[in-house]
Amino acid sequence: MLKSSQEWVSAAVDGETDENSLAQLSADVDSHAQWQRYHMIGDTMRGELPAAIDLDLSASIMAAIELEPTIIAPKAQLKESTEQVASRPTKTSNVVPFFKQFGQYAIAATVAMVAIVGVQSYNQSNDAESPLPVLTTRPLVGTVSPVSYQTGAVQNQQNYSNDQVIEQRRRINAYIQDHMLQQRLNPGVVIDENNNQDAAVKP
Amino acid sequence: MRLILLALLVFTFSTHAEEDLSAKAWLKNMSQALRDKQFKVSIIQLQADHIRPLVYLHGIVDNQEVALLEYLNGPPKNAVRVGNRVTFIEHDQPAYSVSAPRIQGVWPAALAGDISQLEKGYQFVIGGRSRIAGRPGQMIRLLANDENRYDAQVWVDMDTYLPLRFDTLNKEKQLLEQTMVVELIELSEPANILIEAAKQEWPAVINQAERTDGKNWQFTWLPQGFDVVVRDHHRLIGIHEPVEYIALTDGLANISVYVARSGENPMPNELLTRNGLSMVVVKVGTLEVVAIGKVPSETLDKIANSLVLK
Repeated sequence: MLKSSQEWVSAAVDGETDENSLAQLSADVDSHAQWQRYHMIGDTMRGELPAAIDLDLSASIMAAIELEPTIIAPKAQLKESTEQVASRPTKTSNVVPFFKQFGQYAIAATVAMVAIVGVQSYNQSNDAESPLPVLTTRPLVGTVSPVSYQTGAVQNQQNYSNDQVIEQRRRINAYIQDHMLQQRLNPGVVIDENNNQDAAVKP
Repeated sequence: MRLILLALLVFTFSTHAEEDLSAKAWLKNMSQALRDKQFKVSIIQLQADHIRPLVYLHGIVDNQEVALLEYLNGPPKNAVRVGNRVTFIEHDQPAYSVSAPRIQGVWPAALAGDISQLEKGYQFVIGGRSRIAGRPGQMIRLLANDENRYDAQVWVDMDTYLPLRFDTLNKEKQLLEQTMVVELIELSEPANILIEAAKQEWPAVINQAERTDGKNWQFTWLPQGFDVVVRDHHRLIGIHEPVEYIALTDGLANISVYVARSGENPMPNELLTRNGLSMVVVKVGTLEVVAIGKVPSETLDKIANSLVLK
């Protein structure tokens, strides 16, 4: 039976078989490898071999197809992660040194700094150098965490120069520091106006 | 059996007595306790994303109140109060004393002061009870009478009447600031450090000669309960710009109003912070009126616009 089936295959390769047996042959999966081998032998005898013999093309294509998604997926992930890595340092460089420079001590400075974030987020080097009087008073109440900065419709903050913005921040600073200091100096209860319990602390 | 019944009776009576207390009575007891009791409290203060731990000691030495406030994180910052003199000891400037009946920075001044003063701006409402720092606390709401200030709520220790927690809430009932006790120890005698502090020689109260009375600025409108507490003329710290200064308070909220010559650069009209502090700038001719305080910015705006020179 085996022998005869091999003969069928051989005959089919040579095109000497009828449709019925061909259908039978195609249904017989075991014979497919033989079919391929017989074709290969025939090609060799006729001198029609390609330069590189790809012994199992279908398998390699199958493998290629199977490999394809597994290759593409890691590539996409890689790209994503590189994007994350690339974007993260810029974010931290925007935020972290910004707050580390002054820490929690500089109450008013923090407020003013956010003021500048709203106005000119690119200009950070000046923050460290600007002559903020942040250490002259540090009210016991502690820090202020700014959340928003609004300007009137008439004003156009974008047109301000650095000097103007720094000057503005100094003024905001001064007012808020003074307000905090007043909380210390004023007893906070209604006193008569001749009472001189309020005082200025000269830094 | 009789003893147990008796004990039960006494117990129910005493709890009854507590329940009968009005919100105002609770607050009055608290104010009294803050002045009379000897205690040590560990506190955390929450402001937006900041947490500040601190310790506050209070005692009576030689019939006068002695208190010590110490901030536990960061550079050393302390405040000592002996009688009516508060000395601030900080690492970056020489110690200085001011005359004040409290150390600012722990509980709002009004909690230890005259509670009736708060009634003009707030309603006192008894709230629920909850456990704070391992102690049962009675909550008292300080509901703002109008839209011009923030609400507050305070939890009072049912045993000692000392405050256990104080919250400031905005109109949306969002927490702006919280001061919460994590440990409260009542002492029978003053802590040693307070006895030492009372003996210590502290810097004299700083000279206030540089300040002169300000011009007669008047408000055409002020929120109910707010009063002028200070009015003077001084220079701003840092930039040394002369300003006319007026301080307003309703007992809980403090507002500073400044009148100064406008700078060359326009100021922002409004600045808000997450802990409730707002700043509003109104331009009047060549002058700018700056109002700062922990109240809604609309209030500051109205106050700043109501300022007139008489």
